[in-house]
Amino acid sequence: MLGFLIAEALRDLRRAGRVALSAMLLITLALAALGAFWTLTSNLGDAVAKWRDRVRVIVYLKSEPDPASVPALLARVQAVPGVASATYVGRTQALASLKRVLGKDATVVDHLGANPLSASIEIAPAASASASPEAARAMLARLAEFPEAEEVAGSADWVERLSEWQRLLAFVGLGIGGVLALAAILTVTTATTLVLHARRQETEIMRLVGAPEFVIRLPLLLQGMLQGLVGAVVAVGLLVGAWRLGAPHFEPLIELTLGLPQLTFMPPVQLAALVVTGTLLGGLGGWLARAGR
Amino acid sequence: MIELQGVWKTFSVGPVKVPALSDVSFRVTRGEFVVLTGPSGAGKTTLLRLLYREDVPSEGEISVLGQELNSARRREVAALRRSIGIVFQDSKLLPGRTVYENIAFVLRVTGTQRSEITARVFDALRAVGLSARAQAYPAQLSQGEAQRAALARAIVRRPTLLLADEPTGNIDDAMAAEIHDVIKDIWVSGTTVLFATHQARLATLLKRRTLVLEGGRLVKDQG
Repeated sequence: MLGFLIAEALRDLRRAGRVALSAMLLITLALAALGAFWTLTSNLGDAVAKWRDRVRVIVYLKSEPDPASVPALLARVQAVPGVASATYVGRTQALASLKRVLGKDATVVDHLGANPLSASIEIAPAASASASPEAARAMLARLAEFPEAEEVAGSADWVERLSEWQRLLAFVGLGIGGVLALAAILTVTTATTLVLHARRQETEIMRLVGAPEFVIRLPLLLQGMLQGLVGAVVAVGLLVGAWRLGAPHFEPLIELTLGLPQLTFMPPVQLAALVVTGTLLGGLGGWLARAGR
Repeated sequence: MIELQGVWKTFSVGPVKVPALSDVSFRVTRGEFVVLTGPSGAGKTTLLRLLYREDVPSEGEISVLGQELNSARRREVAALRRSIGIVFQDSKLLPGRTVYENIAFVLRVTGTQRSEITARVFDALRAVGLSARAQAYPAQLSQGEAQRAALARAIVRRPTLLLADEPTGNIDDAMAAEIHDVIKDIWVSGTTVLFATHQARLATLLKRRTLVLEGGRLVKDQG
């Protein structure tokens, strides 16, 4: 029976012709857009996470503290909400670091009369502090209130901007994918309605001979699902093809700009989810046409 | 087998209610061959549509094969129809399928085992003398052949009751005689037949119990 119903669904698809093709194309576009934006935002998310780990806040001190009081100072700093770890950097240590950074130009430092650098505390924010601009600002404000603090430098603003871009891209992707998916559902509904019209004689005969309701309805649902399945498989094929062609060219650029050494593609489970989504979208279109009858 | 009790069917044409059947009552017992006759517009087709529950009466009770039709659910109607064969004036063959496929289609959609289909289709085709035309498409058939194919489709499920609505209305006398012979054979094999025709002469020729409808009223029940 199932073989017969699938054969009927295929016959219906041939009847729907170009409209069915349009529906498949729209499903392909919707899922390809969703998949592409998903990949983009996922990689951007990786970059954001990586950069969040690298964010450091520096508290410059008014004067170099007595070495005996440093542990107590560090303990007070670490007690501030949002501080993951704190490291004291003395003036001598700061100058040595500067020389290392300057490399062959380090002799410039030797011409200075005295060490101009301040002692500081280097802070690695906790994930909770860098998760939102508000949390980061609250932590910076608390640090600035320390009587020993001359200045607090460092901000997670640009990481937040990157994070906002990531969210924006996700919304755009969902929006475009959603609009295309809606168009796809409506097109499948139209294709199924045409099929309903084309198969009205079959339907009449089926009713007259007492065919069960599911035998009358199932081919309509199946042909919608077939449209979705074909559209989704093509979309996955396009995504994989585009990835294989494009990723090797983009990776060096992404590493240079975002510091990501390797881009990641959708795992097989997500690709399978796309195929299932496409099939369900098509089925929904077929069901909506059926529901109107 | 069939029982109608005080059946009325009224259609609304704007504000006006037009009675198609008025207070019709009769019984048909198992194994009978009953001719339902009357002029065009007498209500024959309306009556048949009520019997296979394509329509419901405005008043009265109908029972077919032990099933009360007024309150029958969709599933019960489908089950009832699986025991009824129906032929119309227009053969209603599916144009994109061969004669074989048209008949097999009925078996497939009603859940017959795939292994039984071919044998049962050819049994039905032999019964109507159309085995040689199994692979022909409806457009390649004469009207008489098309009607015989429709009959094969109606009997392929070995129905208990055959409802024939003017099956010879569109064909010449020679072809009509062939169809009558086929329907008689079906009746002889044990199927109850209700044969609707507007040709009063045909009703006389068939020499069976005849119900005469005029203006929606059953005016004669003889034979």
